[in-house]
Amino acid sequence: MPAHRSFSGGGRVACVLALLSLATSAAAQTPDMSGFWINQYTPDLSVVLGKQPPFTDFGAERWRTVDTAKDPTAICLPVGPSRGFTAPFPFILVQHDKMISIMFEYQAIWRAIYLDGRNHPDDLADYPYFMGHSIGKWEGDTLVVDTQGIDERSWLDTAGHEHSARLRLTERFKKTGPDTIQWTVTYDDPIYFTRPWSIERTFTRGKPADRVLPYTCNENNKDVEHLMPFQPNLNYKHVPEKKPGGL
Amino acid sequence: MKRGLAALLATIALLASGVSIAAHHSFAAQYDSKKPITLKGGIARIEWANPHIYFYVDVADASGATVHWAIEGGAPSTLYRAGWRKDSAKVGDIVTVDGFLARDGSKLVNMQRALLADGRNLFVGNSSYYQKGR
Repeated sequence: MPAHRSFSGGGRVACVLALLSLATSAAAQTPDMSGFWINQYTPDLSVVLGKQPPFTDFGAERWRTVDTAKDPTAICLPVGPSRGFTAPFPFILVQHDKMISIMFEYQAIWRAIYLDGRNHPDDLADYPYFMGHSIGKWEGDTLVVDTQGIDERSWLDTAGHEHSARLRLTERFKKTGPDTIQWTVTYDDPIYFTRPWSIERTFTRGKPADRVLPYTCNENNKDVEHLMPFQPNLNYKHVPEKKPGGL
Repeated sequence: MKRGLAALLATIALLASGVSIAAHHSFAAQYDSKKPITLKGGIARIEWANPHIYFYVDVADASGATVHWAIEGGAPSTLYRAGWRKDSAKVGDIVTVDGFLARDGSKLVNMQRALLADGRNLFVGNSSYYQKGR
């Protein structure tokens, strides 16, 4: 008789019950965020922030001189991990114990958020990706996601806020009702910003019959040949934040 | 009337800020918000495709010659959710288009409004679906 059949019937039941109990307690702590969600379109993060982010001198000069004809998404390069959540297109979230997948309608692109306890890979800086590398964990009922290795060619928004390869995103996903998720994203990039800064948006559950529709960016992208240099911020004056306790 | 004017001014303010009402890229990198145009003609072709739909209108110029204009609209998925379908307008339908000229001087217009003869405002995206609480 094979070894695995040597358990008594009662023992097996006890094992199954114990596993079920573990699964139930885990499920009780982690809300189910699976579903079809609608973003709040946010083409300019500074509108939500109420001011420009705390630029370094370098970041301010990049903002002043940014040419919005060079938006990477205009040539269908991937939207980036946070901008996917501020684009005017919905997404599907699929939740498993060890991974959450985000499937964006925009550009038909995805994010994988690893929840299995792994760290970022040691060679991540050598292999950046436009959507970054995301690891997450649950803090009570809130999913906290750390994303690094984001290709510096991606932009943070349509207005032209940029970032460096050292950008680190911290996102917090908290269900505030059966049909709403509060999403708080913190942008930490010492090359562009003097300190981390955050915005908050709400995802709203779609209708039951909603489905992801086609978005194949290169299908008929005729815009590229008509884009002309445009620098809307040339009059921007950088006023560094006063440090707490400073004169 | 006042509401219409306010909406128009709000649209112009948004466009002047250089931020697109689509996600794809900045409006102002491609179009000139200071160059509005109205065109009337028959639809010659419709391209229901990403990232933006296009339709083409044959317009008679002052000399009577026919000029072929490209009209750019929203993303197909946005328009679909607003109730539009790829056959909501037919080739040959007469349409009056209000929009803004391309900055590069080509015969290209970003559509703000396109009225069909039956009064329907063609291919208008329901951006409010995504703009709540912006």
